[in-house]
Amino acid sequence: MADKSTDPAAIWQNMVGEMEKGFNSFASQALASPEFSKLVNQVGGASAGAQKQFGELMEKYLVSMNLPSRAQMLSMAERLQSIEGQLNEVKALLYELHNSSGMPPDRSVAPRPPRTKQPPSARGEQK
Amino acid sequence: MNAPAGLDLASIPERIQSEVQRAIQRSIKGVEYIASSGPALGSTPKDILAVRGTMNLYHYRPIADEIYRVPILIVMATTNRGYILDMVPGQSFIEFLLKRGYDVYMLDWRAPKPEEKSLRMEDYVLDFIPDCVRRVQRDSGETDISVIGYCFGGVLSLLYGSIFADGPMKNLICFTTPIDFREMKLFQNFSDRRYFDVDRLIDSVGNVPPEMILSSFEMLRPASRVASQVQLWENIWNDEYVKSYRMFDRWATDTLPLAGEYFRAITKDLMWDNKLYNDAMSVGGRKADISKIKVPILHAVAEHDHIVPYDAAKHLIQKIGSADKEEVILKGGHVSLVAGANAIKRLWPKLDSWLCERSV
Repeated sequence: MADKSTDPAAIWQNMVGEMEKGFNSFASQALASPEFSKLVNQVGGASAGAQKQFGELMEKYLVSMNLPSRAQMLSMAERLQSIEGQLNEVKALLYELHNSSGMPPDRSVAPRPPRTKQPPSARGEQK
Repeated sequence: MNAPAGLDLASIPERIQSEVQRAIQRSIKGVEYIASSGPALGSTPKDILAVRGTMNLYHYRPIADEIYRVPILIVMATTNRGYILDMVPGQSFIEFLLKRGYDVYMLDWRAPKPEEKSLRMEDYVLDFIPDCVRRVQRDSGETDISVIGYCFGGVLSLLYGSIFADGPMKNLICFTTPIDFREMKLFQNFSDRRYFDVDRLIDSVGNVPPEMILSSFEMLRPASRVASQVQLWENIWNDEYVKSYRMFDRWATDTLPLAGEYFRAITKDLMWDNKLYNDAMSVGGRKADISKIKVPILHAVAEHDHIVPYDAAKHLIQKIGSADKEEVILKGGHVSLVAGANAIKRLWPKLDSWLCERSV
């Protein structure tokens, strides 16, 4: 077995690891500065503002092209979501009814295991 | 000429042969890597008990012949998907719990839709969690419930537990849960109130995009992504390494957007005013004081957590009102604490030995 200090693959892996640590540590110091916070938030704020303006412009364009706007699509999505929610409620109610009818539930053909398990200490076992 | 100390000349041909074979394997496996999809994640059999907006409640099918009386509800962090706790068979926390005889439910999150931007902290703490607790009670037939919260899921569980201090939570387990947000230094700097206009951001984008969440996590260790890709190439001949890389990489980049109003509350109440630590937190007008929590609690923190540093998490045990409380500091990072080889060896058995005694 080659010594790690002379194994080129081990030296390379060690170097990558050390570089990662060194760069992360250096970056952490830079990212912790108030200057960085100011810069990143200026850029982030500007891009969020631009995104909003672009969205408004797009909305006007879609209206002029007689295409559904984002607001209309969202309203449709809301209605679909509400239908989806009601379906889930119906499903949950059916599931409860099925369970209370005494019939074995479809999702687990085998009955559920009993809730009688005791910890190893209570059974006199070593953990 | 003498060989340098430590260099075994006889092993050189063997090393060269091994490196050549690895280089060939790298080329073959590299093509395979690009052409194939990763392993199927989150495949432990489960039933969906409820889907409501961003809330998903699963019940995992028990696999033990006998289970503990008290079911577990896992509350996942709102920024990430729950399958980090259910990677692949043999490396799944859920599967481990099922095999050890627990009845497991999970509150997982779906990406909030644009129209859900108005979801507030109270929707999570006073509606989603209590709703899931009621459904678990109904499904299991048990009143008591153990709650496990991972990262921000732990914060939500703490808020829930402090507002509903009279029950039905029987045990609380938090994994890497921050409480002193001043100590999350880099996140503090990113959200410095002098420069970060959270109102402008939320009013502009609605929900906080997942790319923004991901880049804020990646900025904490900017070199790690490149270094991990170099290491992947080094180890691409090794199927186990590649499988593990793909699982974790897929999960880490599968970040969820955050509902706008919820993010606004996190920024103002927690990042800026540190209300949870300062005992000044309230949700929907109800005071959330964690000293009111009296149930047994286990808090597991990671020694090398770069997302929730120990200083941000350490006051939880001091401030909680429980008499039966324990903090355990384990080797690993924010993710390796709960998933992967490190977790299998350290956290999972520790959790089992703590919880089994309290689940009857």
